[in-house]
Amino acid sequence: MTEDELKEKILSLAKKNPKGITVNDITAAHPDLTSAELVNTINKLLQQGSFDIFNQGGTLLYRFKNQANKQAVKGADNEEKVVFNLISEAGNKGIWIRDIRVRSNLANTQLTKVLKNLESKKLIKAVKCVNASKKKVYMLYNLEPDRSISGGAWYQDQDFESEFVDILNRQCLKFLQQRADKIKCNPRGPIIGRTQSYAAAAEVQKYITDLGISNVKLEVEDFITILNTLVYDGKAESTVYPDGSKVYRAIEALIPAPGIVQVPCGVCPLINKCYSSGLITPQQCVYMAEWLE
Amino acid sequence: MSHQLGRVVSEILLRYFGEIVQQVGNDLFTYGSKPIGMIVKTTGLLRSQVIESLRTLLKFDLATFEPSANEIIADYKLLPDNVLLLLRYPRYLLQMKTKYGSEAEILIEELLQQASCTATVLIIAVATKYKDDKEKNINIIRLKDTFISLATAGYIQQAPVAELNEGSEIPTLVPVATIVPDLDSRVIVQAMNSGNIAEANDNIYWRVHYDRFHQDFRDDIMIKAMTRRIDENAGELMRLLLQQMYLASSPWAHESNAIPAMDLRELCRRSAAERPLLHQHVDHYLKVLEENGSGFVVRDGDAGGGLYVVRARDAAQKLLVSVLEHTVTERLGSHAARIFRLILAKKYIEEEDIQKHAMLPNKECKELTYKLLEEHFISVHPMRKAASSGGMNKAVYLYHIKLRDVAQTAVEMCYRSLHNVIKRGAYERTRHSRLREKQRRVRSIVHGMRLRGEPQHNIDDVEETLTPPEIALLQGVEKQLKQLNSAELELDKTLFILKWEKDMDEDNKRFT
Ligand code: SF4
Repeated sequence: MTEDELKEKILSLAKKNPKGITVNDITAAHPDLTSAELVNTINKLLQQGSFDIFNQGGTLLYRFKNQANKQAVKGADNEEKVVFNLISEAGNKGIWIRDIRVRSNLANTQLTKVLKNLESKKLIKAVKCVNASKKKVYMLYNLEPDRSISGGAWYQDQDFESEFVDILNRQCLKFLQQRADKIKCNPRGPIIGRTQSYAAAAEVQKYITDLGISNVKLEVEDFITILNTLVYDGKAESTVYPDGSKVYRAIEALIPAPGIVQVPCGVCPLINKCYSSGLITPQQCVYMAEWLE
Repeated sequence: MSHQLGRVVSEILLRYFGEIVQQVGNDLFTYGSKPIGMIVKTTGLLRSQVIESLRTLLKFDLATFEPSANEIIADYKLLPDNVLLLLRYPRYLLQMKTKYGSEAEILIEELLQQASCTATVLIIAVATKYKDDKEKNINIIRLKDTFISLATAGYIQQAPVAELNEGSEIPTLVPVATIVPDLDSRVIVQAMNSGNIAEANDNIYWRVHYDRFHQDFRDDIMIKAMTRRIDENAGELMRLLLQQMYLASSPWAHESNAIPAMDLRELCRRSAAERPLLHQHVDHYLKVLEENGSGFVVRDGDAGGGLYVVRARDAAQKLLVSVLEHTVTERLGSHAARIFRLILAKKYIEEEDIQKHAMLPNKECKELTYKLLEEHFISVHPMRKAASSGGMNKAVYLYHIKLRDVAQTAVEMCYRSLHNVIKRGAYERTRHSRLREKQRRVRSIVHGMRLRGEPQHNIDDVEETLTPPEIALLQGVEKQLKQLNSAELELDKTLFILKWEKDMDEDNKRFT
């Protein structure tokens, strides 16, 4: 591997993690690097001024420093600088155009021009919010939008991947169901049984990751979101352990399917149009006939 | 009262009592309460027919009367909820059979048919009916004993007596406290043999006490729910809790009096042989009963090793929700049910948040939310936000669930379904009535021939008048009618849960 390739790799890793990376992160991502190469490359990058270095709780944290920033501010007029700073302060959550206007005190037309300029220089970008389709936020060009903006793992270019969610939902349930019966007549008592039937989100994460159904890396948070849909499906309950971790277990509905859904009328879309005489009647009903077959 | 209820009630009256009673019932249902003269006028029936119908309705407690404004004539009123109970009769009988055996079943059956009668008459009637039935082997002593246990357990009670108030010509029915009778089986046997019943009669009239049965049904639902949620031991513990509850609390109380865990431990110790696990882990079972999200049982203080309270009202609500969830799932799909539950859990929620938590695509989520609105499972509450910083006034729509209203929606749906099922049954019956009649005739002829000992080939000849396709058709119809029948029972069970919570709230006193 050439030196440039190495630099590129580490830089891209650092860009992905705007909060900064540690040496461990680098070795985890590129286990094939020797420590000599590593030290060498990092030093080069530091010299170039591509990295800021921080000391966080005893470990060294390297954060990508955007050189473009400096240049931008250099060549720009005052308005651009103000707007640029506001946007860079907003980080990867972005800032809404109205807020920029209010805080910069710029007139609408002027602000649009400034934003256009910055955008054309590739210093900032506009990102659409997933949860409010009309809302656009601005952030620095090199930033990866926050989950709340991009929607995280569930979105592919703003499209919600419902099938993916459904598959995960089913797989998680399957996992929980495998151990749900532990509570039943457990020789060690129902409390121990219940504990055995609980699964922490991290366990579910491991199980699903091992299954390899997802090519996106899913965080524990993501699994909590999915597991919560199971709770809303009425198929699981959740509780919080004393140490603050959330656990889940599969449950059954309190009652089996009630009479109302066992007869065709209970699920019939025409129920409110069905009368004793007329076009739709129980006597002539085909749903009934099918059901009675 | 709802139009749908009127439709079901009308169909039920038709099935059990025929067209004339149905007409009178419809009339009473539509007008609320009215005197005989008015019924004659609107229905166009003969006065004697109306009176006869009212007599039937009153006898079975399907209608009641009260003095009208002038205190001279009576106004009659239909009791639609009691009419619905007619559908529950098979369940009452089954309950008796499983709990007290076939004598009890026969007694209750007879009493339901007679509506009300004295102990002696009832016992003699049953004994006479089954005199020749070797299989059942009914004897008066056993019947008498069963009668007494049923009275003690409250499944039958003394019928209210009519009393004339001063200044009024219309009697009022006054409930009487039930006293468990002291019956002498020798006197009954004598009366039966001599045929002189009047002598042994005590003029105390009895009737079936539906509520007592309903208690059993309720307990059964709760026990089954715990068995499903946890396991059989938990179900058994629930049963014990309910059993203890009856000792010190009124049966339909929202919340029972505190039940000491000590008593439960003692009970479990006694049944340790059958349920060793329960005995071993009583306290743990109590804890999971409390912490399974059903809210049936809560711990109420630590005195004397812990006190527990059965929360019937919360149970009713949780079960109601369960029925509704099933209904939404089947009608609109599991994603809609997810939204339904989500709204229920969050109480009030904005559309945006629904999407976020339910993890559904924008469009689907919106569609389902509107479908839920359309079918009245959820409601929306517009709210003006106070002028926000930007000076924009945006209305926020909060979705929420009015449980009582949704329950009513489901009740209406049950009524509609029930009506349709009964109507379809009646239709199938008339459609094949000729064939069914033929079958009946063939059977009775064959029966007669067998008794007379006629040769087999003669019998075969008669039997063969029913052709194979006819027989196949008849079997098909039988099966369909059975299915419709069991659907009626199941719908009635759903109604039971749907109404239970509401009834508890409306008059807690009715049940004491
Ligand atoms: S009878 Fe048929 S059309 Fe009418 S409500 Fe029932 S299923 Fe629907």
